[in-house]
Amino acid sequence: MRTGTIRRVFSLVAVAGLVLSACSTKSSTTGAGSTPSTNGTLNLAYLADMSVPDPDVFYDIEGNTVILSAYQGLVDYKPDSTTIEPVLATSWDISPDALTYTFHLRSGVTFQDGTPFNAAAVKASFQRRISVNSAPAYMLAQVADMQTPDPMTFVVKLKSVVTPFMDYMASSWGPKIISPKALTDNAGTDFAQTWAKTNADGTGPYKLTAFNRGQNYTLTRNDGYWGPKPNFATVNIRIIPDMNSQILQLRSGGLDVILHSFPVAELPTARSDPNLTIRDFSSYLQSLLYINANKAPFNNLALRKAVAADIDRDTLVSQIYGSYGHPAGSPYAPGILDQSLAPISYPTATVNAPAGTPAITFAYTSDESGIQSRLAGLIQQKLQGQGFQVTLKEVTNPQVYGYATSPQTLAQAPDLLLMTNTPDAAHPDTWARILWGTGGGLNFLGYSNPQVDTLLNQGASTSDAAASAQAYAKAAQLLVADYGILFLADTRDVMVMRKNLTNVEHVPNYPWALRLGTLARS
Amino acid sequence: MTRLVLSRLAALAVILLALSAIVFALEAMIPSDPVRAMVGASATKEAVAAKRHELGFDKPLPVQYIRFLGRAATGNLSDSLRTRRPVVTDLGNFLPATLELAGAAAIIAAVLGGLLGIATARGKGTAPRLLMLAGASAPPFLLALALLMLFYSKWHILPSSGRLSSSITPPGGPTGLLVIDGLVHGRFDVVSDALWHLALPAFCLALGPAVALGRTLRSSLQTVLTQDHIRTARAKGLKERTVLLRHALRSALNAPLTMGGLQVGLLLAGVVVIESVFAWPGVGLYTVQSISSTDFPAVAGVTLVLGALYVVINSLVDLAQVVADPRLRAA
Repeated sequence: MRTGTIRRVFSLVAVAGLVLSACSTKSSTTGAGSTPSTNGTLNLAYLADMSVPDPDVFYDIEGNTVILSAYQGLVDYKPDSTTIEPVLATSWDISPDALTYTFHLRSGVTFQDGTPFNAAAVKASFQRRISVNSAPAYMLAQVADMQTPDPMTFVVKLKSVVTPFMDYMASSWGPKIISPKALTDNAGTDFAQTWAKTNADGTGPYKLTAFNRGQNYTLTRNDGYWGPKPNFATVNIRIIPDMNSQILQLRSGGLDVILHSFPVAELPTARSDPNLTIRDFSSYLQSLLYINANKAPFNNLALRKAVAADIDRDTLVSQIYGSYGHPAGSPYAPGILDQSLAPISYPTATVNAPAGTPAITFAYTSDESGIQSRLAGLIQQKLQGQGFQVTLKEVTNPQVYGYATSPQTLAQAPDLLLMTNTPDAAHPDTWARILWGTGGGLNFLGYSNPQVDTLLNQGASTSDAAASAQAYAKAAQLLVADYGILFLADTRDVMVMRKNLTNVEHVPNYPWALRLGTLARS
Repeated sequence: MTRLVLSRLAALAVILLALSAIVFALEAMIPSDPVRAMVGASATKEAVAAKRHELGFDKPLPVQYIRFLGRAATGNLSDSLRTRRPVVTDLGNFLPATLELAGAAAIIAAVLGGLLGIATARGKGTAPRLLMLAGASAPPFLLALALLMLFYSKWHILPSSGRLSSSITPPGGPTGLLVIDGLVHGRFDVVSDALWHLALPAFCLALGPAVALGRTLRSSLQTVLTQDHIRTARAKGLKERTVLLRHALRSALNAPLTMGGLQVGLLLAGVVVIESVFAWPGVGLYTVQSISSTDFPAVAGVTLVLGALYVVINSLVDLAQVVADPRLRAA
């Protein structure tokens, strides 16, 4: 009797579940991520929240899509190119001394709130970036003066020559023009930073209509957009931190694109899925092996050279990246500087670790694709095969930023560090200065060579393009000869997407992002 | 009763102090520079130093800790380094989602655990027990993915992620718990949609605790069913169902309630995995993102809130035990 009753309860629960499930079919088909994409909505995902949609504070990669869809700068890069093209500026003049930049602005442009775009708006946005003084403000650090001689002309005067200035303007982290009305209405006491933590008001093809941290960001077509009308009425970007969950949704049509970090182990399955396609794009992403030359054992050049030989870079890169990366041809990714000016040639004859070499610590930052951990594991194997004792450990970005804060932290920092990074813009100064210039922000294991610093300053301060390139090339040659950082691979920006997406445009300097304004579905 | 409440409050204060001290000790042990990571690689040394000073990171750790405690006492948990908003604001956004998920999971765990315990107390109900044991033995992320593949990818009957369909506008308060808010505002579309989004993550989260509760209840019931008062009840001719549900169950609740309190900790730990898989915008997801950014103010804030929640829930369990078992009142 009792057992029968309990069975009935279980049965009732099961039946109720099935009935409710059946009833839910209709409602769930309209649910978030529950069914294939509807016409007019593009579904994307981020693995983590972007920091803020404020172009004067934002300095990450995750979030590029939002910033580049809501805002525009004066110029940007052409797809798959380093050529700078007009956006809000239709043309520009650079004075012979390279200290004055005159931008002729596009007419007929309005901000998403209807405010007309003009030179005063550009000046206000540039001034805000300087006032906010957050990470990307360095791009305007040399601005001496800004003038608006007429409503559609904007003039910037620099204190000294800044060779990457136009590249800064085109960078995804470069100055973006924000509605002056929004900045005034929401000024508060922090230059509208509170407002810009969840809002955007630019001239881009999409309006940011919802910013729900931890949940989703909604971009809605800007019907007043000055350029070609975007194809999708809505772009829904959801925060889905689990890559397996993203893959499941991509295969079911709940997502249109996985923008980055697709697991390499899953690529064959994606390749065989008739609804999916794998696209890889040029990028400036480079895989780097930092060597800590500030302490034993790698304060010895011969041992740094031994590491370069022992890891068997070409085989390693081929094994890990396949067709999505190749051994780095230079410290500068293709497109940033002619790679033949500073080619890389690492020794290939393996060297055993000398007896008595202390055990070494090898740190790496991981990613969802699994590439970093696999690469780190293989390097560990190769080095151990040559007699090095290698302890591998995974670290986070803030930990890595802590290594070079003082000589004491450098002495405690790992001996080797594996990272993948990308420059701010397609200019050698935006890479060399922070990566191997003394005290550079990405110079995590404290490489320092005064000759390099002098060359970098020469490169940045001359308006002679050829002389500048030579200076940057020499700075790279010195680094290569010092074996301070080993450049493993020039890698592709790999995305997996639904096969019916068309007009796919990608800019090498804008990693993990597609141009949503042109993207369409067949 | 008053003594119990006072002792729990005292314990709460001690536990929160200890938790916050541990978080700060961890910060000291892990060499990192979250400020540099925050302002970016190209920021000047002056800009980094200014930001470090602004955030108080240039002070010795004990000073930072004392300042943190001072602010926390007034309800200010500092600003998150990642979201650049007050941690209290972030928690206000993320905590309701976790409370709703954990609450739903707790209800499912109690119901499933109860059914399982009762069904198996007399050695019956082997099939459901084995099924639940298998589910509970699987790693939570694997179970979640398997259920997603079935209910989302294959049958298209349950959504894959989030709390609400994008086509539905949330009611906007007062509690942040969508089911409750939907009922308050008479928005039954919200209630049903929120329940369907809750179904899979809450079930995955509940399965482990349900099996633990069921096994404890079973064991407890088996002991109680051999006692004299049960024999007396049967001798009086009461139906077996009445004996079980009215006489045995109440006496057997003590152990499952204790287990329930312990399971709350596991349940709160489980949200980290489940929220990641189902993109559930709760404190688990917030914690994962904060840890990877070494966002200590956020991690400290989450630790304090979850710690407090754990202590409060266990205190409520103590009270429930007293209510359920009159013998404990005298003790």
